[in-house]
Amino acid sequence: MAPTLRPGNSRWRGLGQFTPWLLLLVGLVLVRFSKGAGFADAYALLSRPFWPGSAQREWITTATDLEQKSRLSLLERDNQRLRGLLALQQAGAAEGVVSAAVIARRTRGWWQQLELGKGALQGIAVNDAVLGPGGLLGRVSSTTPVTARVKLLTAPGHEIGVWLPRSRRHGLLVGMGSSRPQLRFIDRDPDVRPGDLVSTSPASTLLPPNIPVGVVQAVDEQAAPATAAVVQLIAAPEAIDWVQVKTR
Amino acid sequence: MARLHQQPICVASSLLVPLATLATPPWLGLDGVPPSWAVIWLLPWALVEGPLSGALSGLALGLVMDGLHLSGWSQIPALVLLGWWWGRLGRRAQPIQRSLNLGLLAWLGSMLMGTTVLVQLVIRSGWPLDPQLQSWGWHTLWCQALITGLLAPMLASVQLLIWRRRVPS
Repeated sequence: MAPTLRPGNSRWRGLGQFTPWLLLLVGLVLVRFSKGAGFADAYALLSRPFWPGSAQREWITTATDLEQKSRLSLLERDNQRLRGLLALQQAGAAEGVVSAAVIARRTRGWWQQLELGKGALQGIAVNDAVLGPGGLLGRVSSTTPVTARVKLLTAPGHEIGVWLPRSRRHGLLVGMGSSRPQLRFIDRDPDVRPGDLVSTSPASTLLPPNIPVGVVQAVDEQAAPATAAVVQLIAAPEAIDWVQVKTR
Repeated sequence: MARLHQQPICVASSLLVPLATLATPPWLGLDGVPPSWAVIWLLPWALVEGPLSGALSGLALGLVMDGLHLSGWSQIPALVLLGWWWGRLGRRAQPIQRSLNLGLLAWLGSMLMGTTVLVQLVIRSGWPLDPQLQSWGWHTLWCQALITGLLAPMLASVQLLIWRRRVPS
């Protein structure tokens, strides 16, 4: 049979050849905007046999001495008028804790994040606080049904408001990529010195109140426009296999 | 035999990139900075397939990798550019045979990718960068380029060998 010379026919055939690739492109765009949902979930499924065992969880529960002591001293400093309110908040917080395994981690490099083995199906939502042994690690950046992505405090540009219990001053903790974030103040003389504890604010609504974050390591009083300090985080993301997510 | 993009097994090998990115152990990096698996996979693909397929594969990989990372900056511009450049090299230059050449190309590719990320960081944070941030940026750029350049001769040369056999020129 002689081949057809009608141009419309070959145009449709050409389009038909490209259809699978167009569908692939649409699929990839969906992956991009779902924050890698299919890949992260498939990875969680494949890596499930290798997730850390329950021994790690026991280790975490016994390795929280510093966190407990710090929290105790912070709570003692809270005034009596807030005691009832704090008790209510803590009761609520205890109910909203989800333990999750760390299934992938990138603590160095351009992106500093953890992938957790629990996600939206377990009640984890964006901006939930993530705690490790010792203190705050970061916040949930995105979720898929069975995984959650955590933006670490060290990630460049990650900013949270913090509180210095000794001097009762607020500051802004800014991730700088390195393992030691920078603490910035608004005041010129914020009364900060090495060794000061840094915690979340007692009045914080975005993060759980009175969670230890780190310890001031060095202070730069010459920094412009105001004093800045380097903070050593208490919780080390490189060595953590289980974390706790405080859901709201 | 058909081109690489018409062979499902070759296309499916790209799935190893996101999986390797998620599963890279800290000891495989340089000072904890992991290699760029996208660069290592894209290099032999573009050399065999040519500039158009290289750029499109760079776009596809970039979309997936951006999905797997925190928002903030994108790898798409660098990967598209690298796919196109390496594709042109594969078409117009002498066939690349030596493993060390692959290492050098991967090193350059990783440096380019890190530079585009740094440029995006400068655009977001403003110039000049905070000295601490600047120091971290250069450190990450060099560490990733070195470890990518070290791994590429071992991995990309095997990929190139296999794929050239599947697609005789």
